[in-house]
Amino acid sequence: MTSGADTPVYPLTFDTLLQELDGATLSGCFQCQKCTSGCPVATGADVKPHEIIRLAQLGARQELLSSRFIWECTSCGTCAARCPQGVDLPAAIDALRRLSRDGGFVAEPAVAIFNDIFLDTVRQLGRVHELALMAAFKLRTRRLAQDVGKLPMMLRKGKFALMPRLVPGRAERQRLFHRARKQEEETP
Amino acid sequence: MSYVFYPGCSLESTAKEYALSTMAVCAALGLNMPELPDWTCCGSTAAHQTDALLALALPAKNLAAAAGNTVAVACAACYSRLKLANHEIAGDTQSRARVADALGADYDGSTPVKHLLEILRDDVGFDAVDKRVSKPLSGLRVAAYYGCLLLRPPSIMRFDDAENPRLLDDVVAATGAQPVDWPAKTDCCGASYSITKTEIVLRLSRGILAAARDAGADCIVAACPLCQLNLDMRQRDIEKKQHERFGLPVFYFTQLLGLALGLPSRDLGLRSLLVDPLPLLSKKGLMSTETAVAR
Repeated sequence: MTSGADTPVYPLTFDTLLQELDGATLSGCFQCQKCTSGCPVATGADVKPHEIIRLAQLGARQELLSSRFIWECTSCGTCAARCPQGVDLPAAIDALRRLSRDGGFVAEPAVAIFNDIFLDTVRQLGRVHELALMAAFKLRTRRLAQDVGKLPMMLRKGKFALMPRLVPGRAERQRLFHRARKQEEETP
Repeated sequence: MSYVFYPGCSLESTAKEYALSTMAVCAALGLNMPELPDWTCCGSTAAHQTDALLALALPAKNLAAAAGNTVAVACAACYSRLKLANHEIAGDTQSRARVADALGADYDGSTPVKHLLEILRDDVGFDAVDKRVSKPLSGLRVAAYYGCLLLRPPSIMRFDDAENPRLLDDVVAATGAQPVDWPAKTDCCGASYSITKTEIVLRLSRGILAAARDAGADCIVAACPLCQLNLDMRQRDIEKKQHERFGLPVFYFTQLLGLALGLPSRDLGLRSLLVDPLPLLSKKGLMSTETAVAR
């Protein structure tokens, strides 16, 4: 997504991902570790940013797709902004997340579950409805107690709308999501 | 230049004071900002982590509906998603075709997208803002916090210097307050992991709060609903966990600007902030009697 015009998003398989990344910039990485130095979540990472690139150069599919780090990366973009070789690591990590899900390798299911619920809310309503989103996330992940103490305050401050607002054009939205899904499935 | 305003989902809920103060400030500066009718979510982090095509098609749906106007954005996350979608669609014919198939209509990626801060700088101008300031926020020391999404990737966002941005500091200066020099202005707060991986947000946001405090700031000013929420709503959690005290109100820049323009505080949503800013504002003599009454 954050990739340049010369790196098409589809079709996405692990091999095409490597090809695209290599064609763009991946082979330019000489392990200076500037990405890891500036990364806010590299401390404690199972695979550090510069190691992600090295593993990709080696084609280490399983290690990459099952790494915890791809679900801890905040997509802050500091690595790419500072990379002397122009490696677009955030775009690579987004692609790895998608492949990780497709292959059933997700090391941090909570993030993927949250994303699914979020997108389903958008498909149904057109916009995010925080209360419904939070409730669904808690039920799916059994994290019932998390942040419950904040609810009265957030309601008092008017920060959560009680009722969702339904944006017109639901059929059109369903079609958009359906077509996007279909395109993804049709790619080899 | 004619604008349509794209508020984004946060401005309807957790950041409603951002929406309120934006409308108040735009009205005071004579900026006409009609809302884009029936706008839908930009897809945010969830889309780009899950489905590359949705991450383009959801912004494109809104950009195509802007019908030749410039899309004005307050939320840094929406701003980022809209600009990235434009870049990809305008620069890659394959992406454009895929988006057209998903939308059922072609969109060429040409709708201009501007953040409110850019509109203040380029279209209103700081001289014009200066002339409207009736209650300068003298003596208020402010840490201008940019976060990630306005700045990076710099080649596409083209917002400001990615390592040492000044635009928000300039807006702070225009209000008569004093921007502090501090090292965490472009650090990441943890953003969307607030719910799913809270421990990351607590750690990263703690670093930002501590840097602001150590630089002698009285408060922080933000231009992103995710950053503001993490630094404001999670501040008490961080204080408890770390056994330290920050007590730093986290304003939206539109709230500070509104105060300097002499707008009534009820129009700026100051009461929606979780770290109460009114003690600080009274201490600095920046709260009018009207503000006290409105409280």
